[in-house]
Amino acid sequence: MLRLLNVNRLGWMVSILLAVLVLCPLAAVIIQVLLPGVFFGELNIGDLSLLLDVFNRPLWRKSLENSLLLGIGTTLFGTLLGTALAVIRSRWRFAGATALDAAAWILFIMPSFILAQGWIMFSAGNGLAASLLGWKWVSGAVFTPGGLIAVMTFSKFPLAYLSVRAAMEWKMDMLSQAARLCGARPWRVWLTIEAPLLLPSICSGALLVFMDTIGDFGLPSAIAVVYRFPTLPYSIYSAIYTSPIRFDMAGVLSLYLVLLITLAIAVQFYILRRSRYDILSGRAERLVPGSSGRYNWLLSGTVILLLIVVIGIPIGSSIVMSVLQVQSDGLVRSNLTLQHYAELFRHGADLFPGIGRSLAIAATASLIGLLIGLGAAFVLSYSRFRFKKAIEAATLISFAVPGVVLGIGYIFVWNQKWLEVLGLRLYGKPSILVLAAIAGAIPVITRIITGSMAKVPEQLLDAAQMQGASLISRVRRILIPLIRGALVSGALAAFGSCVFDLAVNSILFPPNFVTLPIVIDDAFEDMRFGYASAATVTGGGIIVLILTVIEAVFKKKGATA
Amino acid sequence: MKREWQRTAGVVAGLLSLLAVTACGGQNQNAAGTAANGNNQVAEAAGATAGAGESTSAGGGTESLTVYLNDFDAVIGEMFEKKTGIKLNIVSGNGAEIMSRIEAEQGNPQWDVVWIDAMPSIYGLDAKDQLLTGWTPENVAGLKDNYESLIPEDGSYYPTGAHAAGIIVYNKNKISGADIPATWEDLKNSVYKGKLGMADPAIAAPAYPFVANFFEDKGIDGGKEYFNSLLEQGLRVYPKNPQVVQALTSGEIDIAALQESNAYSMLAAGEPVELVWPEDGAPASVRVAAIQKNTGKADAAKQFVSFLLEPEVQQELIDSGDESYFEPSAEGAAPKADRAKEAKLNFTDAAYSSEHEAEIKQWFADQAVQ
Repeated sequence: MLRLLNVNRLGWMVSILLAVLVLCPLAAVIIQVLLPGVFFGELNIGDLSLLLDVFNRPLWRKSLENSLLLGIGTTLFGTLLGTALAVIRSRWRFAGATALDAAAWILFIMPSFILAQGWIMFSAGNGLAASLLGWKWVSGAVFTPGGLIAVMTFSKFPLAYLSVRAAMEWKMDMLSQAARLCGARPWRVWLTIEAPLLLPSICSGALLVFMDTIGDFGLPSAIAVVYRFPTLPYSIYSAIYTSPIRFDMAGVLSLYLVLLITLAIAVQFYILRRSRYDILSGRAERLVPGSSGRYNWLLSGTVILLLIVVIGIPIGSSIVMSVLQVQSDGLVRSNLTLQHYAELFRHGADLFPGIGRSLAIAATASLIGLLIGLGAAFVLSYSRFRFKKAIEAATLISFAVPGVVLGIGYIFVWNQKWLEVLGLRLYGKPSILVLAAIAGAIPVITRIITGSMAKVPEQLLDAAQMQGASLISRVRRILIPLIRGALVSGALAAFGSCVFDLAVNSILFPPNFVTLPIVIDDAFEDMRFGYASAATVTGGGIIVLILTVIEAVFKKKGATA
Repeated sequence: MKREWQRTAGVVAGLLSLLAVTACGGQNQNAAGTAANGNNQVAEAAGATAGAGESTSAGGGTESLTVYLNDFDAVIGEMFEKKTGIKLNIVSGNGAEIMSRIEAEQGNPQWDVVWIDAMPSIYGLDAKDQLLTGWTPENVAGLKDNYESLIPEDGSYYPTGAHAAGIIVYNKNKISGADIPATWEDLKNSVYKGKLGMADPAIAAPAYPFVANFFEDKGIDGGKEYFNSLLEQGLRVYPKNPQVVQALTSGEIDIAALQESNAYSMLAAGEPVELVWPEDGAPASVRVAAIQKNTGKADAAKQFVSFLLEPEVQQELIDSGDESYFEPSAEGAAPKADRAKEAKLNFTDAAYSSEHEAEIKQWFADQAVQ
């Protein structure tokens, strides 16, 4: 049967899966605007004036403005930082280079509410910056819109970094050498030859940074409350969680979020219209970083300093917090304790089964997500499938729409009475967490694989097709060996980010089925900050360990993640 | 080619079975738990308090009850199972998450009992005809008079206790002597400019009862005037109470209106704070239990609600629960020994809170961003 699979059929399969996993739940929330109560058996016509309220109500208008400011600012600086680091990392050798790769992955995987806690601990009035280093200015600098953009830049740049770094895997020397032969200086070569070739991946990185920023609830809401800077996800969250609950308002605000994303995708399409280059040919060579010569110490110093800021502050603060007896007494010897870690084992009844469930869900979701993502990326890269753009949009939307919106949509869709008769009422069962996690995994995987496929020319696959190779066989024997690294990266990234996904978990977890993010959030809600931090450090540590082991195994087999 | 096909099919089958295993895990878990408890439940369950005249829909002991709650998840399941043999399926979250789930499930509710400290929201559920009405637990007579008076005429929900939605907590290293506030009006004092904080009534469950009490007491305009004066002097509004606690410990603010149990937890953790129970009383947040209208497990649900009204049960929650600082609703149960003796709670009318909920929250949110 699999021999009958062709690109068009694959396109349909991917479209249907994306519709079920992403578009239907999202549409269900947005339909609430037009027909509130339609999922509860009531037929009312919605008040469409809500659509314009976003320009009248102070909270909503401000949220929209703030989201735009934050999105554009972070995209600009995050893309610049990510691209610069990726280019430097790919071309030169320096100390801290491997640590930079690891840092990018850690930041990519860590949920923003945990990063936010670290930044707050560091920057607050009595925080580590003021109490330990005497830097009282930090608080004033971080808790401003500019400071928030800086913190977001330090947390989101890995999306641009990973995207550009993947594109630089292969050398494009013949073009650059031709330019050099014609007398162009290195800077000019980079600007006129190499940068334009990187444009698709820079754009892709920028789009990811933009979407992840405007869809992020955890970081802005935690840091911005200090000076009150509501964003769209914050207002969506308050519409869904404020009694009387307004799913219609959440639908309106989500619609604006989707519009912003569509706009960003349109801009990307406009820029990329004529910038796809199939540069990978038989003469391609892997780009090996060269010596950075006398600038070695400068590069190493700058990167290590940056790592201290982007990893040291958020993760380091969580570690510090996990060993403090009394939070406000700060980092002094008499206040240090390991009791929170001991509690993990005493209270551990919750934590370890929680970690186990989260790992199982993430593993299943990333494997199934890998299959669907590979299918989606293949259709996007090598087909003329009619609904290609819809597939692209669907894979991106689930990345940016807040998890809680998708979660509510999942309840609407998967809690229907008629599904009960068919045995498919998945709400209330662990499998709904797997479905939601797959929806979360697909965009990450698709992005990473598409970036890698952009370098594999279609002719390679066409040649095999002419010899009679089936689609499955072409993918297995030609494509997969060439993009193995990206497949491993994609699956690992999806796995890491699924494990900590709080938003979807908190709205969908079945009775008596507590997962890792819920354990951490519960402890935080109960104000057991030390315990919450210890659980985060332990859970995060276990996951990083698993990722490292898997990566090492694949590396041994020749596929770099 | 054939081998290749088989291998691919094998991988797909493996993945699907993995999904099936994960999917079924929770069900089996619950089913196994229920089966294990099944037999010894019947006798005790039948003898426990129950509403008269209801048929035992699921055969008494073999059922488990799905309870949505926002506190006591660590202890209540075991306590109830020990007493009646009925197992609880617990969904625990903050008040907002629980209400949001209930709302989203409206077309096909999955809960049997809801037990949270959000009386106005539960009143709202009753107004939308989603609660089981017309029954009275036998032990209602054992409730204190002021709690009995909170029970609606249709008997749709029952109060199990109340705690302060907000008391004044200050950093004793920063505020001392004559600057220590004694009443809510004192917070308007300009010495607290830029140092005040509270939770967002739009998001934190206990913050709305806190705000609503001022609006009921002072009238809508009076309430707006009061909070405007606090906002004008830089009142900081955090999403939930834990963030208010963090702001207090980190020195962002020196004084806060904080939910009672959070305040006592701060004291217990050794943080340098003192608590003030205002002379004029603290707005109360009432915890109530209600049953879903169309539940198939009405008998067990009624047993659970009656169970929560027992003085011994409330006493055990106070002695061992995680949110143990509250005033029990049953006569004979005593609050924690270190809870302030002068603790005075001000109750807001549930109908008033529910009717004005959207208006007050919207006003507050819009003011806070100005």
